[in-house]
Amino acid sequence: MEEESGEELGLDRSTPKDFHFYHMDLYDSEDRPQLFPEENPRMRKEVVQAETANESTGAGDGKAQSDLREEVEELVHLYGLEDDHELGDEFVDENMPKMGVSEYPPYGMKRRDPAREQRDWRLSGEAAEAEDLGFGGWGSAGQCQDLREVYRYTHGRASEEYECYVIPEEEDEEEAADVFCVTCKTPIRAFQKVFDEHKEHEVIPLSEALESAKDEIHKNMYKLEKQIIDMENFANHLEEVFITVEENFGKQEQNFESHYNEILETLAQKYEEKIQALGEKKKERLEALYGQLVSCGENLDTCKELMETIEEMCHEEKVDFIKVSVFYTNRLGKFLKTKTDVEISQLMDSINTIPAPSAPVINPQAPNSATGSSVRVCWSLYSDDTVESYQLSYRPVQDSSPGKDQAEFTVTIKETYCSVTDLVPNTQYEFWVTAHNRAGPSPSSERAVYVTAPSPPIIKTKEIRSCEEAVLICWESGNLNPVDSYTVELTQAESPEASGVTESVVGIPTCESLVQLQPGQSYIIYVRALNMGGPSVRSEPATVHTIGSYFRLNKDTCHPWLAISQDGLTIIRSERSTPRREPPPSDTRFTRCVAVMGNLIPVRGHHYWEVEVNEHLDYTVGVAFEDVPKQEDLGANCLSWCMRHTFASSRHKYEFLHNRTTPDIRITVPPKKIGILLDYENSKLSFFNVDLSQHLYTFSCQLHKFVHPCFSLEKPGCLKIHNGISMPKHVTFY
Amino acid sequence: MALKQISSNKCFGGLQKVFEHDSVELNCKMKFAVYLPPKAETGKCPALYWLSGLTCTEQNFISKSGYHQAASEHGLVVIAPDTSPRGCNIKGEDESWDFGTGAGFYVDATEDPWKTNYRMYSYVTEELPQLINANFPVDPQRTSIFGHSMGGHGALICALKNPGKYKSVSAFAPICNPVLCPWGKKAFSGYLGTDQSKWKAYDATHLVKSYPGSQLDILIDQGKDDQFLLDGQLLPDNFIAACTEKKIPVVFRLQEGYDHSYYFIATFITDHIRHHAKYLNA
Repeated sequence: MEEESGEELGLDRSTPKDFHFYHMDLYDSEDRPQLFPEENPRMRKEVVQAETANESTGAGDGKAQSDLREEVEELVHLYGLEDDHELGDEFVDENMPKMGVSEYPPYGMKRRDPAREQRDWRLSGEAAEAEDLGFGGWGSAGQCQDLREVYRYTHGRASEEYECYVIPEEEDEEEAADVFCVTCKTPIRAFQKVFDEHKEHEVIPLSEALESAKDEIHKNMYKLEKQIIDMENFANHLEEVFITVEENFGKQEQNFESHYNEILETLAQKYEEKIQALGEKKKERLEALYGQLVSCGENLDTCKELMETIEEMCHEEKVDFIKVSVFYTNRLGKFLKTKTDVEISQLMDSINTIPAPSAPVINPQAPNSATGSSVRVCWSLYSDDTVESYQLSYRPVQDSSPGKDQAEFTVTIKETYCSVTDLVPNTQYEFWVTAHNRAGPSPSSERAVYVTAPSPPIIKTKEIRSCEEAVLICWESGNLNPVDSYTVELTQAESPEASGVTESVVGIPTCESLVQLQPGQSYIIYVRALNMGGPSVRSEPATVHTIGSYFRLNKDTCHPWLAISQDGLTIIRSERSTPRREPPPSDTRFTRCVAVMGNLIPVRGHHYWEVEVNEHLDYTVGVAFEDVPKQEDLGANCLSWCMRHTFASSRHKYEFLHNRTTPDIRITVPPKKIGILLDYENSKLSFFNVDLSQHLYTFSCQLHKFVHPCFSLEKPGCLKIHNGISMPKHVTFY
Repeated sequence: MALKQISSNKCFGGLQKVFEHDSVELNCKMKFAVYLPPKAETGKCPALYWLSGLTCTEQNFISKSGYHQAASEHGLVVIAPDTSPRGCNIKGEDESWDFGTGAGFYVDATEDPWKTNYRMYSYVTEELPQLINANFPVDPQRTSIFGHSMGGHGALICALKNPGKYKSVSAFAPICNPVLCPWGKKAFSGYLGTDQSKWKAYDATHLVKSYPGSQLDILIDQGKDDQFLLDGQLLPDNFIAACTEKKIPVVFRLQEGYDHSYYFIATFITDHIRHHAKYLNA
């Protein structure tokens, strides 16, 4: 389409070839009947062509041109009729030159690339669509329509469609109009004036009408021409604008491209230069080394030669050899001292461009690697540095006052580990290490804190409580600072030599531990303290026998008038002539009741102990809860159960007291040794005459908490406790 | 002697049986109850003799006291004889409930018409044990005795008169000092005549005073609300005093609220059986 239009335009530029379509010959009468049916397609074709021309020119005046052509064609058609042949000829002739003039000169369209045309078309398309470009004025279709309407009736034929041309009848002479009805604007025949239609109408002669019509046409045509010119100018302007824009952007692109290329070139250049420089350096160094190597080799050869010569000498006569040898030895000496040394040292120096090492990495303390007085510090090198020695520095970690500076110690070592000794147990020390080589020291490593193992704890042997199934041990920490935990180790003490199996209880947070044991055995117990550095050495051992229940009297509960023996098993109430003052009330210490409690192991099960009494002694023995009121008598409340013996008027009175009540019991033989059985499982407390294996009495008691043995002396005297004895058989029945 | 089984009932894994035999000492047919614990199936068990009180037969104890569980647990054979000869047709034997039938007082009568039949002391200490030892899986070396009221008196005197024969003895509300109480006086005068020296031979309190024998461990339970205690029939204080004097170990428990009945016995029978088991199973 484009090409066609292009060709068309080209044609337009050169010759009005289009007029071939409008050639008069086409409208000869003999062709007319053919033309008319073809007209429409041709019209359409021309319209299409016009439109394409429109597209390519991008000017609305193209459209106008097509319209104009259309118009002209119509007119031509109209006037190409043999009836109005002269009219048509005239008209056409008139128009032709005009058209020839008007149409083509304004087309200053320069030949452009189809692409450009395309662009123009697009622009023009937009332009064309804008009504305000004044092309509305070129609603020449309307004008055409008017004109057609005007001239339609010249043929004397009415036509509904203006596009569909009235087909004038060729030989319709008898119906040819000779006058013009102004009113109706139709040519009519003279006699028609007479008829009713046109009776009143103004009529003018046809020639007059013609003249006026012609004038009008000329006027309109002139207007159209002007408009065409304007349009064309505008189109040109636009075109120029387009071109300028094109040019500008094109220039900018080019600039940018060249810029970019320049930058790339510069970068590439720099890269090349640097690479080259590195390469040259490398080459230099290699050459230097090679040179040195070569000289080394030469020296080596020289040496070898010398050696050979000397060897030859050796094999010669000894006398000659001696003569020569000295000379050669000197020579050798000189050689060795001078040349080679220098070269070698030069070589060595050239090799010695090693840097000082980087800071070593000190390891965190490995668990259990410390003792009470030493730690094992390890570190490693971060890189492949050459290191000749390390310097390990340390000092104790100070908690608060910075004023008192702790001494700093330093050790030089070759290995990457060191056992530092003479340290204080359970103390933190800061360690840091530097690596040294010929070039100097490294920066110091990070400071790592190591801690020494703690000192061993001390078992409180006097406070051990045990029964047949367990032991409760407590100890002193043995360290000023806190440790992490404690470990209890126990072995059965069957054979003193063999250690046997050692059972350990670990992770004990406090200074006491309840350990389950087998009945009827002997155990040796140790305790260790533990911290980050590791365990302490074992404490001094303590021995435990799981026979019976073993407890000691609790001094904290002791009434001031009672004294406890060294072994913690005898209670003495001494004679006092003058009564002493009663002590103030207390929660732990017996005040009114002259009593003391024992510390029984808090383990349920059976507990048995015996108390040696005097027949004439007033005493009370039994058990009580820890929180038994210390101002009351034993057995006077529901927190204690006990047996009381009162000897008065040579009569023995025995009471089994709980909550102030006692059953009525007579005992004929006063016991000298009372056995007491505490049975948590069956909630019973039984008393026995040990010597007679006689059962005296059993309490049924609700023991929701642990109880402790209690003893009181109502009169001066003493009670001796025996524990750690297994239960006699007769007791087992209870 | 042939034993005729009268009844047998399983109880607590063991067997409660009643037998009848012709007694030589008593010259009549006598019944006795025997409990065989489960352990008796596999071996010899110790023997524990129960002597019932006035008006009782061999039935009272086995049906009212609830002793079977403890006996079963401790593995003791418990023998409970009748309280007197029966069907002897002695004139006056049924006249009163506290003399004659059902009131043998565990003496060997010396007076007529009682002396032929009323020899309960020998029956209990001689004939019956021989019979039991011969016919039941018992260990003759391990025997204990206990009883209630008149039977308590019987147990005490048997033990005191036979040192070493019984490993242990206990009693429920025993007649401790019959020579001084109405029952005792009545019975002894009837069975033994008027010579009070013969009476003392069957009086626990007196026997204790001259007891030479091995250590005894005596357990006595006495209901505080026991009418007979209040009536002075039982007189435990005398016995205790004597024991205290002689240093015979006694634990005497005065049980608040309890009376003379088998309810009282049932309450403390377990303690007594344990008391004996301690010695019998030692």
